[in-house]
Amino acid sequence: MKERSVIVKENRTSVIVLILAFALICTLLCLPAYEFTSSIYTKKSGNTFVGDEKYVAVKAEVEAVAEDYRADGIEVTLKENVIERTNSKGKTTSMVSFSLDHTFTKSGWSFINSGLTSSWVLLGIILCSALSCACGLAGIVGSMGDSYNRLDGRSAAFRSASGYLALFVMLLVPVFFMMNTFAMSRQVKLFTSETITDGADEFYALLNAFLFDGTAGDNISSALSGLTFKNTYAAWGILPCAFAMMLAAISLRRGTIGHTFMRGLLYAFVIVMCVFILYPYYVMLVTGLRSSAEANDMYFLHIFPTEWRFENLKYIMGRGIPKYLLNSLLIAGGATCIALLCGIPAAFAMARMKFKGRNAFLGFVIMSQMFSPVVLLIGIAQLMSALKLNDSLVGLMLINAAFNQAFAIWLLRGTFVSISSEMEQAAKIDGCNTVQSLVKILIPMAAPGIVTTLIFVFINAWNEYTISTILISTAANRPITVGITQFSSFNMIEWQYLFASSLLATVPVVILFMCIEKHLTSGLTAGGVKG
Amino acid sequence: MNNNTLLKKSEPYLWLLPSIVLMAVFVVFPILIVFKLAFSEISKAGIAGGFVGLQNFRDAIALPAFKTVMLNTLWWVLSVVILSTVIGFIVAMVLNQKFRGRKIARAIVVFPWATSLVIQASVWNYIIKYEYGNLNNVLLNLGIIKEAINWRSSYQIEFIWECGVGIFVTIPFVTFCVLSGLQSIDGTLYEAADIDGAGFWSKLFNITIPLVKPSLTVSTVLNIIYVFNSFPIVYTMTKGAPVHKTDTLITYLYMLSFHERQKGPATALSVIGFLILCLCAGIYMISVLRKEEN
Amino acid sequence: MKKILALVLVLCMVFALSVSAFADDAYTLDVIIAQYGPNTQEWFLGKGMDGSNFVEKFEAANPGIKLNLEVISWNDLKTVADTRIASGQAPDVLNLDTFADYANEGLLMPVSEYCPEDLFEDFFPSFIDQSVIDGVCYAVPDLASARALFYNTAILEEVGVEVPTTWAELEDVSQQIVDFYDGEVYPWGVDMTTDEGQACFAYYAWGNNGGFVDEAGEWAVNSAANVEAVNFITGMVANGFTNPNPATQTRYDLQDMFAAGKLAMIIAPNQLPTYVADKGGDIAMATADIPANEGCTSSSVGVMDRIMVFKDEAEADQAKRNEAVAAFLKFFYDPENYVGWVSMEGFLPAVNSAVGALVESDPSFEAWLGVLGNAKFYSTAKDGWDAVKQGVIAAEQAVLEGADAQAELDALQATLVK
Repeated sequence: MKERSVIVKENRTSVIVLILAFALICTLLCLPAYEFTSSIYTKKSGNTFVGDEKYVAVKAEVEAVAEDYRADGIEVTLKENVIERTNSKGKTTSMVSFSLDHTFTKSGWSFINSGLTSSWVLLGIILCSALSCACGLAGIVGSMGDSYNRLDGRSAAFRSASGYLALFVMLLVPVFFMMNTFAMSRQVKLFTSETITDGADEFYALLNAFLFDGTAGDNISSALSGLTFKNTYAAWGILPCAFAMMLAAISLRRGTIGHTFMRGLLYAFVIVMCVFILYPYYVMLVTGLRSSAEANDMYFLHIFPTEWRFENLKYIMGRGIPKYLLNSLLIAGGATCIALLCGIPAAFAMARMKFKGRNAFLGFVIMSQMFSPVVLLIGIAQLMSALKLNDSLVGLMLINAAFNQAFAIWLLRGTFVSISSEMEQAAKIDGCNTVQSLVKILIPMAAPGIVTTLIFVFINAWNEYTISTILISTAANRPITVGITQFSSFNMIEWQYLFASSLLATVPVVILFMCIEKHLTSGLTAGGVKG
Repeated sequence: MNNNTLLKKSEPYLWLLPSIVLMAVFVVFPILIVFKLAFSEISKAGIAGGFVGLQNFRDAIALPAFKTVMLNTLWWVLSVVILSTVIGFIVAMVLNQKFRGRKIARAIVVFPWATSLVIQASVWNYIIKYEYGNLNNVLLNLGIIKEAINWRSSYQIEFIWECGVGIFVTIPFVTFCVLSGLQSIDGTLYEAADIDGAGFWSKLFNITIPLVKPSLTVSTVLNIIYVFNSFPIVYTMTKGAPVHKTDTLITYLYMLSFHERQKGPATALSVIGFLILCLCAGIYMISVLRKEEN
Repeated sequence: MKKILALVLVLCMVFALSVSAFADDAYTLDVIIAQYGPNTQEWFLGKGMDGSNFVEKFEAANPGIKLNLEVISWNDLKTVADTRIASGQAPDVLNLDTFADYANEGLLMPVSEYCPEDLFEDFFPSFIDQSVIDGVCYAVPDLASARALFYNTAILEEVGVEVPTTWAELEDVSQQIVDFYDGEVYPWGVDMTTDEGQACFAYYAWGNNGGFVDEAGEWAVNSAANVEAVNFITGMVANGFTNPNPATQTRYDLQDMFAAGKLAMIIAPNQLPTYVADKGGDIAMATADIPANEGCTSSSVGVMDRIMVFKDEAEADQAKRNEAVAAFLKFFYDPENYVGWVSMEGFLPAVNSAVGALVESDPSFEAWLGVLGNAKFYSTAKDGWDAVKQGVIAAEQAVLEGADAQAELDALQATLVK
């Protein structure tokens, strides 16, 4: 246990860091956060050469405008940009574009009354960091020096709140900058290119007042289209301050930051990972429920569909998708059964019996995996037609089972090897024969390994595509992977139906997995132990 | 008596029989056909002619893209297998911790595996389009970027994307193999190490990795075979364009066989690929089985 | 050993029995149809033909024949066809773009053996000519499409330029569009993908009096005109006048860009307006001739697909088979069915009897048929077309990556005249 005086000292340091960080955030907000450069006036010369009459005339015109601005007290610099172009016949012409650039900075504070949406986020940042500070102070009053795990409820709650608020600030800062980037580049671009016209006037008025103090007037549209901006370091400095605040608050609550910090990292990792993995599925979902026009609208403007079209689901249902799903279910289910029925005895023999050619068989099993089905198509097609198994689900079950034998045997063998044979020997003494001991004793004990094999084979069979395209010639017998190709034709790819049905095809597999997830993780154990 | 010993001797083979029949008929027979074709003259429509010896192999090696494709295949297999193993390992370590929502996180990790590769590749293809790709759309609307980015500006970058998708879909397989290995580790080992004052890294290298190794090797060997033979990702995303610079062996021979109708060299290439895999797996098998017998 | 053999036999027999064992008097015709549009499968097999479908109607009209019809996507079509043929399961009727390799190997039946006289007369003669090898016709056209230059009238008007007719004008116009829109609008669409790159080669080679073959009809991919053409179009890409990734941006991508008004000009088939409307594109467009090099004549590019019939030596009653095929063709090209199908897919017809009804339903067909009349076609009837097609695509892509056009095309030519 720590000495009381040590804890008092720790608490004091934490609180000081907390307050200093808050003070620093406030200071940084007063410094210039954004540097804007705006072309408030541009003029293009058309076909010309530098120095000729046309050029001189245009330049004089631009300079006159610049004088007007300077007279109004607005600092502008004149820039000229020459584009030379040569066509294939070697004739060169150039175009000169003149622009009057105006550079200015804005501090973080100034965003508060800018009227932009991001002002609310900024308000949140300021309030939360102040609150975090206040909570830290409140939490320390009367409990300074108390042992961390024996804090009274009130101060523990305050100190935790301080930490969460600081974390919240840390998340809000990037949001603030992202919203500004969105407003200043994306929204400005959409409005100035007239992709969106609703609300343009309000938006222009807002930015005119905020950026140009209302001086841009009718020129606002062209001034905005030439707007560039960048964050200064002072702006990003808020982030480490918030981080320091959070660390201080955590140490105020826990004494050390190590454990909490690691847990935080763990959750952060899991969340980032899940977002990353789910991202393509989000794309499938929103594209699948869009209209045809919106699915491919190039610069579509919304992260989510403007109108969720559940008719798409109804449409694909009418195009045979349920039947295809059923076929896939039958094929994958049948393949899994056959693979297990053949694989379990083989793995059993490999694990429990000694015989000549055991290693050769293992080698043979793995070699059988080394050709991609794509390569074997001709042989498979010949075989199936000879066996009269083309265009039948049974044929696909057998093929899929055969192609997954290697996995099944290697995995099940490992599982069986890792299970002690004592029980079986005991059963044998009791009069069980080999088959009985396998069915009654080994299989229940190896259930996890068997379930694992099941899901591996099921998923592989479910996703099989190439062989099915060759073997199945009746539309009604197609598995889902082939069935969805009807949405990608020569004339167009119907992304919305393609993705909606693909998403639908993922669901059964995930449900199956959820049901047997428990067994899967412990099942692979045994399979892996004896490689 | 005589009958009895015969039965006893043949018993293991009877157990293996269903599996052997299944594989012999449905896998070995097509493989034999491929071998036969590799040494035969094959017409453009794919009709097999007479024996031509090694002619197809000579044609295959003389193909201008042969070297590029072999190098690409090497990069493809190495990058996908190594990176998916490393990332899968880390994900498994994380998923082995106790935390709220672990069951959901595990179910989410299985997602990339539960979608067929053609679709997975189509979705990513759709996502990274320059003009109306979803990635640019999302990043622009979130205000993370100011201008749309051309995510596939050169073939090298396209190949990296293909490897990335390959890694994305392979991670679940590795993760669950490793996760199982992790669960078989006796918790007391870590407690003992804690008492000895071992740090995170020392525990990782002295306990975790050695004990996970067996399951990791199985997953790696199967992974090498699966990745080597993986076809839909590259075919869907670039079809090897430009000039086979993003092709792997398997997509190249597919193009060669069905688009250029050079079926002889294509079949020979598939046999070459098989031999390469055999060599790698053979070395592995010998070493593993030796160890086991010791 | 005997036991094993017996078991294998039993297993095989069980499977064989479980699947076969239905006998039927009807003659079964295996037909493979390519998936042209989103509704192809519905039309042939679903409910796309006024609640019924092609197969049902056909079988009702021809009681003795059973149709085993498959609709297969273009992505898999060649794989399926080749694999089925190689494994001895060639379909009776196949719908594909190329036929020469099959014909040269003696796999196809001459059209005269199964096609009714009056139907044969009905096909456009210029189309039939494209399927003749050594005086024998091996396939009949099922439909065609013609390509022309489409341009966004609003963009060209805003920039203040006229539609280019020569390459030099095209460069000028492109430059002005780039300058005007600051690169926001691509002036020119180029598709050099592994799927369609041969079309790109044809547009510029033919526009420069070059082409796949010389006047004697021999492969001549490395002619000076072709080299100039490839250099011109890759130069357009290098100058930034085109979409940025021509080797991987497919025709769908280009058409989507055009529909969204981000692409000013595109060479596209006649279905483009339908496509744009379906994608919700709200743009004004017009068509013009494909620009050619100075002093050369512009020529449209025609693309035609075919229906071919495979030999089936195993069939005892060849006459019955031919009758079944004839019945299928007759029913398929019957204006009552054919007109609906062609207009649904948005292509151009291959038979005279369909023209009247089609022009009545959509007057723009007439203009397109005119374009088609002047169109050049790929040399699909010539041995080695598949290698030439993939070869020119590879050459274009290589030049795009910095290789020398002359060297690439020379190397391709060397493999062709070996």
